[in-house]
Amino acid sequence: MPAVPFEYAAPATLTEALELLEARGDDAKPLAGGQSLVPMLTLRLARPAIVVDLDRLRELRMVRRDNGVLEIGALVRHRALERGEGPLIACPLLQEAAALIGNVRVRALGTIGGSLAHADPAAELPAVVRALDGTVVVRSVRGERVIAADDFFVGILTTALQPGELVVAVRLPVPGARAGSAVEEFSRRAGDFAVVAAVAVVDLDTAGRVARARIALAGVGPIPQRLTRVEDALAGEPPAAETIRKVLAARPLEIEPDGDVHASAAYRSHLARVLAARALERAASRAARSTSP
Amino acid sequence: MTDGTAVTRRALRVVGQRLPRHDARDKVRARTLYAADWQMPGMLHGAVLRSPYPSARIARVDTTHAVALPGVAAVLTARDVPHNSLWTDVPGQTSTVGPLRARIQVLAEERVRYQGEPVALVAAETCEIAARALELIEVAYAEQPAVFDPEAALQPDAPRVHEEGNLLARWQVQRGDVHAALAGADLVVEHTYRCGLIDHAYLEPEAGVAWVDADGVVVIRASTQVIEHFRDVAEVLGLPHNKVRVIGPYVGGGFGGKEDVTVEVFLGLLASRTGRPVRMVWSRQESLLARPKRHPFVLHYRTGAMRDGTLVAQQIELLADSGAYAYLSALVLLYATVTAAGPYRIPAVAVDARVAYTNNPPTSAMRGFGAMQMVLGYESQIDQVARRLGLDPVDVRVGNALRRGDRLPIGQELDTHVAVAEATRQAWAALGPARAPSTPHHRVGRGLACNLQPYGRIVWLHDWASAWVGVETDGSVVVRTGVPDVGGGQASSLCQIAAEVLGVDADRVSVHIADSALTPLAGTTTATRQLYMSGNAVLHAATQLGVEILQVAAQMLETPAERVTLRENGAATASGRRVSLADVMKECARLGVARSYLGTYHAPAGDPVDLERGGGRIFPDYTFGAHAVEVEVDAETGAVTVLRHVACHDVGTAVNPQSVEGQIQGGAVMGLGYGVMEEIVVERGVNLSTSFAAYLIPNSLDVPDVEPLLIESGDGKGPFGARGIGEPPIGPPAAAVANAIEDAVGVRITELPITPERVARALRLFGGG
Amino acid sequence: MTELKIALTLNGKRREHRVAAHRTLLEVLRDDFGAVEVKEGCGEGVCGTCTVLLDGEPVSSCLVLAGRVDGRDVVTLRGLSDGDALHPLQAAFVEHGAAQCGFCTPGMILTAYAFLREHPQAGRAEIRRAIAGNLCRCTGYTKIVDAIAACAKEAASRD
Repeated sequence: MPAVPFEYAAPATLTEALELLEARGDDAKPLAGGQSLVPMLTLRLARPAIVVDLDRLRELRMVRRDNGVLEIGALVRHRALERGEGPLIACPLLQEAAALIGNVRVRALGTIGGSLAHADPAAELPAVVRALDGTVVVRSVRGERVIAADDFFVGILTTALQPGELVVAVRLPVPGARAGSAVEEFSRRAGDFAVVAAVAVVDLDTAGRVARARIALAGVGPIPQRLTRVEDALAGEPPAAETIRKVLAARPLEIEPDGDVHASAAYRSHLARVLAARALERAASRAARSTSP
Repeated sequence: MTDGTAVTRRALRVVGQRLPRHDARDKVRARTLYAADWQMPGMLHGAVLRSPYPSARIARVDTTHAVALPGVAAVLTARDVPHNSLWTDVPGQTSTVGPLRARIQVLAEERVRYQGEPVALVAAETCEIAARALELIEVAYAEQPAVFDPEAALQPDAPRVHEEGNLLARWQVQRGDVHAALAGADLVVEHTYRCGLIDHAYLEPEAGVAWVDADGVVVIRASTQVIEHFRDVAEVLGLPHNKVRVIGPYVGGGFGGKEDVTVEVFLGLLASRTGRPVRMVWSRQESLLARPKRHPFVLHYRTGAMRDGTLVAQQIELLADSGAYAYLSALVLLYATVTAAGPYRIPAVAVDARVAYTNNPPTSAMRGFGAMQMVLGYESQIDQVARRLGLDPVDVRVGNALRRGDRLPIGQELDTHVAVAEATRQAWAALGPARAPSTPHHRVGRGLACNLQPYGRIVWLHDWASAWVGVETDGSVVVRTGVPDVGGGQASSLCQIAAEVLGVDADRVSVHIADSALTPLAGTTTATRQLYMSGNAVLHAATQLGVEILQVAAQMLETPAERVTLRENGAATASGRRVSLADVMKECARLGVARSYLGTYHAPAGDPVDLERGGGRIFPDYTFGAHAVEVEVDAETGAVTVLRHVACHDVGTAVNPQSVEGQIQGGAVMGLGYGVMEEIVVERGVNLSTSFAAYLIPNSLDVPDVEPLLIESGDGKGPFGARGIGEPPIGPPAAAVANAIEDAVGVRITELPITPERVARALRLFGGG
Repeated sequence: MTELKIALTLNGKRREHRVAAHRTLLEVLRDDFGAVEVKEGCGEGVCGTCTVLLDGEPVSSCLVLAGRVDGRDVVTLRGLSDGDALHPLQAAFVEHGAAQCGFCTPGMILTAYAFLREHPQAGRAEIRRAIAGNLCRCTGYTKIVDAIAACAKEAASRD
């Protein structure tokens, strides 16, 4: 179907874009990769007065590695993450997760900033950013805020972004030595949104025990969910599959899944446990391998 | 069949070859103009307003604002439709069958009975204006009581979907004393199976363009399997049938979904009202929401067997959901009834089959047409018989398999080769050595499923197809026939048949198809009938024409006609003297000998039989097959991966083996989609699966390479002994997977689709729910 | 409503065009440029029938607003071959019977083309991964994979 007509602006600078978003408030919809917004427009479900196309903002396509932090511009595309272009190669978790997003066409246009701002509870990248304790850099005409991933996601398709604010970058700590990560995704059809996805990051100490384990789940609640009780319980333990399974089995998971046409809430809870275990196991074995000589 | 037999006696040159299809070069360069690709000067854009409610009274429709919108050319409601009824039994298409009541209102009058039912039409200068105009039509609905489950619909106090009651049709079969036979059986297996609502999900949504030509004929160029809907359009418009013409372009997939009328009537109404060309293209969302789908069934089976695996009884109760309108439901149910006992000899069979109206989306034709849903029932049952008796699943099937000369429970004698036993053995053997599970929490298992599927329409319908074959004076061949080509190579096979008979290269044959005014009518591209019916018509026409041509060639060669053959684009004697076909045709022209022949093939006809009194022939013939699959089950998540899939069918003769393989591979994958992924989810009449993100059809990672195995018995009723293969391959996959899952992890799944969640639940991996 | 002036290269030819900003590349290609070789199958980027190459990468033209293509290079299936000649992928699709109804074919071939450029000698499993975003309802994919694999094998044998 044709979209309901709207005004369109493609500002050349971030300042211009922010001024426009500020001036038009709720009437404006920023357009990043467009892979979620455009179908909403053509299905006539979204009817913004003005679309602010960010495509020309080259400054949001930069990737920098600085002091152990990877700063990824909001408009860096999934394909670049998947290919590990330039400094992105430092974060293998991004490569693994980006390869699972949609299809090759979605990855060609979809952006990391767009994915975070859209905040689909089943999306991969929000869970990755949460698992890595990343931060989201947002800007408006009033200035810049740096928001921890834990605080950025608020609800289904809802973030801490205020009117007029735009995601401009994501900052992720570069994994150190003795670290391993993994993504386990379960979808009804290869390439579709996850029913449940688990993103795990495991750091080992010099003795080969778990120094810190982090696990974030997508598809089991309104926002990507960290399993902090499991993480805490794993600290100091050996990175063995049996330990991981035992720890997971012994604790209720901090998740509140809803059922939908693809999976019931109870099944999602079950999948969460299985996928969390598998992701942690794989992350741990990768961490162990990265330490072995 | 004398034509075919005569030709099969000599070696075939063109038939049986893996020739690239004549339409392939255009398709790979995207030069094929599908229905939506057609543009005309001054063309308007049509759109349909649909009911948001599954059951409501229409209190008022106000089109004032829509009509006033600049750029709107027409807004039509039921009042504007000359004859607001579509019948599924228009003469020439479907004669009245049993208790068939199949009126559909073109546009809703005072009631809507399903979500998505058409209420009004718009034609406007642009798609945008049409979309806006739909939003400006004000309809006041008053919601009415509704019923969403066929069992509930048959209760006496259920809300009535139609005044005449909710039982749409019932068929019963009785052979032997099933109760006594069950009582005497060593083992009785009893289960209830369920299969879900399925969409055709062809990649090309419904579309067409209509205009009124210079002679006042309403011309509709639309994506359809049935150009003969020109009659339906004419009836609705109140025109003589010869004032409506339907042109069928190459179709981007049909699978039964373009068998009923889709856009044609709307286009006819809008074009004749506005006098301008009108295009209508349905969106995917509209297609998934509003068009008839495949029937969900509840299948209750009781199967009795003796200790050695011999089946002695099968008692079957079927209940199908027709949704809000009849469409082809009564016929679909008949296919189910006829095939429900499977391709097995069972002395005592009882089938009680019913289909009910509900306020769900309507259901009608889809590949497999009632027969495919039965496979889950009879193949799950026989597999459990084998398992519970500790017998080999191949042996039990082979031991019980139907053979030529046997009678189906409805009384029809099988008068051609029945390949169930050999297909079973071959498919199973082709699986080869078993694979090891890929991880410690995976399990591997194997499953089999056989099936039978009719090809050709019910003999009560007196089916026929015509084709015109001519030879030009340069020796090139023209075939004209009203065959819609839905992508299965329907037209291309006809080229091969004509080329074979007339002794020319296949690329010397040009085929013109699917124009109700200009090509001889050949019936519907449905019911696995086109190769069988039009193939026989072309064979007949080409053979008759060949006889004429041969006489002239024989004169030219001064040799008796019986010693001259048509080959290599000419006529030749055994000693090698030859004359080109071009020269023969010029001589024909000089002599006034006809250079074309209009052939008609009449399928075996019969009168309706009483199923309960022994019945008789219902279908011309059946195609038999067996699929074998190897699956891997993730014992922690319930996910099922099909690792291998062998699909074996007796195709009689493969006119084009590549096309036949394509039908088998595509059908098998569609069957896997039905088995493990696909479902239109409807909640209280509201369709929740109206996008391709929600309605999941398999992609290239969801399915394995399907290995087709062709048995060529040469004993079908089509040309050169071919059997139909369009529908048969869709039947076995779901049951084969269910059987393989039990083999792998020991649980029996009885409900489709076999989602990971259903497997996980059966494995008791989690509670609650 | 905003109207834009855009200039793009379509199959090697420069085109200038005025277009309403809310229209998609798919609508502009089909309705304004007559590029009906680009098909609409789902309108939400899932099925792949509307695939075009945008600066060489496959994208869903139904999910690209027309303003986005200003100054860019767009290739449809018709851009792969000249006149009657077939691109090797097209020839392989004919030879292997990979086109049945043909509706998914333009997007499928373009996706395969872009993939083989990066992975000229890919195997069947990689090919299956590469085309996973292009749905086909007729073939069951086997013959499509056969056709693409034949081209990849050809490339391998040339090395």
